[in-house]
Amino acid sequence: MIDTLFSPLPVQCLAKCDPARTGLAWSVFLSSADLLPAVRLLYQAEYALEDITAIDAREGYLLVYHFDHMDRQGRLALRVLIPHETPEIASIASVFQGAEWHERETTDFYGIVFNGNPNPIPLLLAPEMKFHPLRKEDGARVSLIDMLPVGEVLRSAPGFDLLTPKAAEGGGATGA
Amino acid sequence: MRYEEMGLTEGDFYSRNFQKGAREDTLILNLGPQHPATHGVLRVIVELDGEYVIRAEPVIGYLHRMHEKMAEGRSLYQYLPNMGRVDYGHALGWNWALVGAVERLAGFEVPERAEYIRVITTELNRITSHLLWWGAFTLDLGAITPIMYAFDDRERLLDILQMATGSRLTHSSFRVGGVCTDINDKFVAACKEAIPHMRARLPMYRDLVTGNTILRNRLEGVGVFDADLCRRYGGSGPVARGSGIDYDVRKTENLSIYSRFDWKVAVQQAGDSMARYLVRMDEMEQSLNIIEQALASLPEGKVMMAKAPKVTWAVPKGESYFAFEAARGKAGVHLVSNGGKFPYKIKLRSPCFSNLSLFAEAARGTLLADALAILGSLDLVIPEIDR
Repeated sequence: MIDTLFSPLPVQCLAKCDPARTGLAWSVFLSSADLLPAVRLLYQAEYALEDITAIDAREGYLLVYHFDHMDRQGRLALRVLIPHETPEIASIASVFQGAEWHERETTDFYGIVFNGNPNPIPLLLAPEMKFHPLRKEDGARVSLIDMLPVGEVLRSAPGFDLLTPKAAEGGGATGA
Repeated sequence: MRYEEMGLTEGDFYSRNFQKGAREDTLILNLGPQHPATHGVLRVIVELDGEYVIRAEPVIGYLHRMHEKMAEGRSLYQYLPNMGRVDYGHALGWNWALVGAVERLAGFEVPERAEYIRVITTELNRITSHLLWWGAFTLDLGAITPIMYAFDDRERLLDILQMATGSRLTHSSFRVGGVCTDINDKFVAACKEAIPHMRARLPMYRDLVTGNTILRNRLEGVGVFDADLCRRYGGSGPVARGSGIDYDVRKTENLSIYSRFDWKVAVQQAGDSMARYLVRMDEMEQSLNIIEQALASLPEGKVMMAKAPKVTWAVPKGESYFAFEAARGKAGVHLVSNGGKFPYKIKLRSPCFSNLSLFAEAARGTLLADALAILGSLDLVIPEIDR
């Protein structure tokens, strides 16, 4: 379903997952430019927003957007990797209004800026707080390859090597 | 604003931010953080034109405890009691979400008997949660008596739950691979006694409260949500089912042993506050059905899997997402592990968080009193929103 729905999109990696082992049916890596088009497709296909969060990995912040369908089982994770130096991405609150709060929470916890969020003020943390509690120290960051299951890859852009072990720096060892 | 022109610095960060978009001829009112009409420490800033709400903005975070940060420094055993503190109303639903995520990632099979005990205790807990909501919600609407009845029944059920979980509110009896204690004959007998008692009480609730004209006038046609609104905001649980969406994680994801029992997902089409009310009333009956059937077919056996993980056990590498249908909607745990002693990341998906986020849109244009009825119909537990 998702593979046909996303056929017009240049996805970085589209993989089918085992719901019994991961709880996900699909995992899709996107570039930040393709996020909003993908989210619009999901809205048209009547997907519902589940949550938005980030994983602070060695390669950058991996934003994870979970969507689920209310008629059938088929949870989907959209993943967008953004660099630690410029943690910015477009807000999806124009399509899924519920994203406003999830994005504000992610800004509180990780310091990621969501451009276009309609009310970008702190949500859960005090406004005067200057640090982001879920950011990890450099040394504590782990490569994505050591955490994310790959799944059955159906489509992959050439040059996408986040989940191929040989490309991981340091040979995929945990805890640099 | 005019306050600053007068040399006054009224309000805090949030009210000043809210004032930016305000009209000149309106009144801005703060409800809460501690206000009798709100639950817990929720604050809602509203802009009023007469009695009508033009804009509303919930301000949350007063009970924020950063459970997700705590997860980074605790083993899963140490973290499990946190779940009861996330949602004190339906603690076992959250217990299940966490152990479910871990079991899914590790590929553990839970013994049959433990599955049955989980179902029985979780459904009992769902009823106590709905009773708590029912009492508090009717209190919001000005009915003082129902909460006395609700708490009477809730106390009886809590006595029973205490036998199985050891606690009355923040239950945490689930373990990775099973449950911590077996249930005994006394527990089964008490359940079998409680079911007909509750079945007799529900029609009385219907006669006393549900059919009451004042209640119906306060709720019918008030705060109508459609399926699209629920999807855009991620509304789930009774909020979605009150809007005609036949969605229950227990059924849709075929969780645990729920498919062995004969029960229905309570759905109402109207989408108003009354629909959400009726969904929860129906759910109490359905939970009773589930408990009754589970007790009748309770298998013998162990309640913990063989070689269940010890306290210092590290979660294997990988990522999993487990959603459970808690009393307020879809409670989800997103677990990411690099194989270390502590989880690398845990994200808690709170149903109340999403359900409250649609309030600002739903309350626009309603009477203030109706907005409070809508707020109550969402069944909010603030610690769960703030986490």
